[in-house]
Amino acid sequence: MFSRTLLIPFGVGALALIVLPAIVTVILAFTLYDAQTAPIWRGNQNFIDLFVIDPIFPIAARNTLIFTAVATPLRVLGALGLALLLSPERRGARLYRSGAFLPAIVPEIAYALAWVWVLNPVYGPLNQILGAFGLPQPAWLGSPDTALSGLVLAGAFQLGEGMVILIAGLKAVPNDLYRAASVDGAGRWARFWRITLPLIQPWLAVLLIRDLLWAAQGTFTLTRVMTLGGPYYSTLLMPLYIYEEAFDRFRFGLGAAATVLLVMAAAAATVLAFIALRGWGFDDEA
Amino acid sequence: MKPRHNPVWGWLYHLTAITVVGSGLLILVFMVSTSLRAPGSIPPPVLQLIPDNPSLAAYARAFSDLPLARYLFNSAVIVGIAVPLTLVFASWAALAIAGMGRRGWRIWLYALVALMIFPASAFWLARYVLFAQIGFIDTVWPLVAPALIGANPLYVLILAWAFKRIPRELWESARLDGAGTLVLWSEVGLPLVRPALGAVAVLAFAQFWGDFISPALYLRTDTRMTAPIALQALIQYDRTQWPVLTATAVVLTLPSVLLFLWVQRTAWNPGKIYERVEA
Amino acid sequence: MLNRRWLMIGVVWLVGVVALLLIQGDGSGAQVSFMIFGDPAEIAAYEGLVAAFHEQHPDTRVELIKVADQADYRARLAADFAGGTPPDVMLINYRRMAQFADAGVLEALQPYVEASSVINLDEFYENSIEPFYWDGVLQCIPQNLSSLVVFYNRDLFDVAGIPYPQMGWTWDDFLATAEALTIDADGDGTPEQYGLGIEPSMIRLMPFIWGNGGDVVDFYEQPTGLTMFREDAVTAYLWFVALSTEHGVVPNRVQEQAQDSENRFMNGTTAMFLNSRRGVPTYRGITGFTWDAAALPVGPAGPMGILHADAYCMAAAAKDKSAAWRFIEFANSIEGQTLVARSGRTVPSLRAVAESPAFLDPNAAPANSRVFLDTIPAIRALPRMVYWVDIELIFSEEIERAFYGEAEPLEALRVAGRRAIEYMELEVLRWRGP
Repeated sequence: MFSRTLLIPFGVGALALIVLPAIVTVILAFTLYDAQTAPIWRGNQNFIDLFVIDPIFPIAARNTLIFTAVATPLRVLGALGLALLLSPERRGARLYRSGAFLPAIVPEIAYALAWVWVLNPVYGPLNQILGAFGLPQPAWLGSPDTALSGLVLAGAFQLGEGMVILIAGLKAVPNDLYRAASVDGAGRWARFWRITLPLIQPWLAVLLIRDLLWAAQGTFTLTRVMTLGGPYYSTLLMPLYIYEEAFDRFRFGLGAAATVLLVMAAAAATVLAFIALRGWGFDDEA
Repeated sequence: MKPRHNPVWGWLYHLTAITVVGSGLLILVFMVSTSLRAPGSIPPPVLQLIPDNPSLAAYARAFSDLPLARYLFNSAVIVGIAVPLTLVFASWAALAIAGMGRRGWRIWLYALVALMIFPASAFWLARYVLFAQIGFIDTVWPLVAPALIGANPLYVLILAWAFKRIPRELWESARLDGAGTLVLWSEVGLPLVRPALGAVAVLAFAQFWGDFISPALYLRTDTRMTAPIALQALIQYDRTQWPVLTATAVVLTLPSVLLFLWVQRTAWNPGKIYERVEA
Repeated sequence: MLNRRWLMIGVVWLVGVVALLLIQGDGSGAQVSFMIFGDPAEIAAYEGLVAAFHEQHPDTRVELIKVADQADYRARLAADFAGGTPPDVMLINYRRMAQFADAGVLEALQPYVEASSVINLDEFYENSIEPFYWDGVLQCIPQNLSSLVVFYNRDLFDVAGIPYPQMGWTWDDFLATAEALTIDADGDGTPEQYGLGIEPSMIRLMPFIWGNGGDVVDFYEQPTGLTMFREDAVTAYLWFVALSTEHGVVPNRVQEQAQDSENRFMNGTTAMFLNSRRGVPTYRGITGFTWDAAALPVGPAGPMGILHADAYCMAAAAKDKSAAWRFIEFANSIEGQTLVARSGRTVPSLRAVAESPAFLDPNAAPANSRVFLDTIPAIRALPRMVYWVDIELIFSEEIERAFYGEAEPLEALRVAGRRAIEYMELEVLRWRGP
């Protein structure tokens, strides 16, 4: 309906900034490359190194899996809860929504830094509050046992963007449907399961995929500022691992191979999420 | 749908909302409260929301230890260029995608999600080499470049969605009046997707404003560095100097908050990404 | 027709952008780019150096690229080399030089030195120069040789009535002092004052290993194996770990996370802190007490120190090599090193500067700056290996774990050995050839 020329800037950008680097990454994944001398082809040796020789890659992969498995549902459910609570137009709702959205626009580096302070085991506000209630005060980032939980906690409070997406979904549900259901005598719970959930499914799918990708790939700043992967690799997630292999230890080939594996895993998870939610049906709701 | 009869529900609602929203905002409260402590002071052993002898000394330190004002200005230049471009390019792409037939629409949705799958770490080195080839190192362009893809393919998706909700008849009648694509975009499309545009503006702003990898990699000259680099540097100098660090974090956060407050008055509040449009 | 309002906004924006970019200014057009990392005090010192250079060489423009963080610095170097646009001159630590030298991206400076009338290697401390040879050719010129020392809080010693650390004090003296200065007044198990602060890492542990007659590799020049498992090394390692696990004279991991040892030293709640000369500019800001520096305690095998040194290196891809050399030459002249030495950051590698008031200024803390010079003969360098960075990182991770009681010390050492052997083999393959 509209001229395709409108897509040119986006297309050029996507090619230059995403597709081209992606191709380069895939090629580098099969090479030995230190960024100083020309890359040397070494077949699939990088992948063998990752699984057989490097003891750190499996740790990073495992951590990432755990983090993704815990943080993704927390974030999606948290955003859903917020959206359900705040989407009705009641007095104060506008204000609450703004308040709930605000943490989403704190620059990530500032956000991560603030969490380091909040999680400080002795002086941090969180443990001071826990202490005031006589609750145990974990060492958070200071212990290999709790550090990853600290990261999850920081991730679980970034709900603003997800909430916005879901409120859009909730608003799109026609009110007549609810009215009809009420007449039929359906309770709140039944209305939620039979009407709300199926109808916001497309938005839920987008959010799920977005949070999945965030947990698997978008944690670089968080880990870089909060823990540097420690103590003893307990918070080493894939993006930081890749960065350190490549930019700190100059093994760009290995880093690229890990990136390729990460992308493949993320793509598989995305497809699974997509299938689990039976497609997203955007095209049906216009 | 709303049980109005029982006032207890109302109170419960406000109580829940304040607790939930408030706990999310605590992080900002702690940031501000810590930043008001005197730099170098020993942290209090118990929780204090307002420190004894609050002072702005930490802010003064943040601005004197580093050319923070200069960095903030540079960041402002970046977002000043990048955010408007993001809105233009993202909405162009979104409009074209929204206008496609069922098949094209579907393909592009998949394509957008596929583009989101590549992590940033896959881009750093390759983009650096690319930017170095075309002489962009140490200019604003590598930092602005993501505007071409609408900062994040997700934002194109949000906008495409919003455009798609505009009834076909509106476009067609405007076209009959002789409007070309650009006019349809600026006069028909944009005004009707203002809330989505507002949302994308705020999110894109936050992204460009908070980016600290790109300046660290692509910039060289000190006088061109952006504000997140200042925070990164201060963390390196002394990662326990909490008043100064949080003061810098507050300074870094403030512009995003101000923009958000302004946008939500004029175009968008987080309750809506699009409005229902009647033909 | 496009709405006029939109057009207006577009035009105003465009004009604004152009104006802003003009304000931002043009590239410096410098002939020599010089990349460093450091905190404000260090950066100020290098700015002074560049300014002084410009005064003498008004026709050669040097542009300073400042990076705050060491990890960012390395990432920048990697990206710069990959992009073919490395800085012309950069500071590289001796533990990392082999990586770059082996890749052939550094311009060997030996021929320049031989032709120079300003730089004479005999005027440098030999143990600062030696690590910067690669294949028998001098690659870079070190600006400093800072060793590890004990910074201590005189006031806390006075209060406790304990004598200040003396040259030649032993490990036992060191431990006894740390124990006496660790005070848990309220008896809650968490001391309010610690006797010692030390980073549990390879570079902090090594002087103790050497001091006990141990070492990390068998041959310095062409190492064939790790020797961290020989008795001398293991004993020293266990002694080091016991400082935390057994004697508790340092903060445990939680306390360290809450507030790190350097910070505790600076606010007067830690009596001794081990650091290189690097800490001095920061500690000069201390107002609450007087502090000084003392030599490391002497181990059973005699006094030992560890080299900390950064050198000026030139990229092989530098565009204007003679200009880059002019700058390196100036930076390592008496005048250049004097300028940087005044910042307090470095122990100058030029004997004349190290012995001069610029370094030994009696009015600038620490009063006993001479200790840095007195310990120079005992300074040793870590091995010059391409894979040293990997080996050091592995050992540091495991040492930290043992130090904080999260792993049995010998088990941690075994794990480190197992992990490091892979890099050791790569190293042997490298110098022996396939």
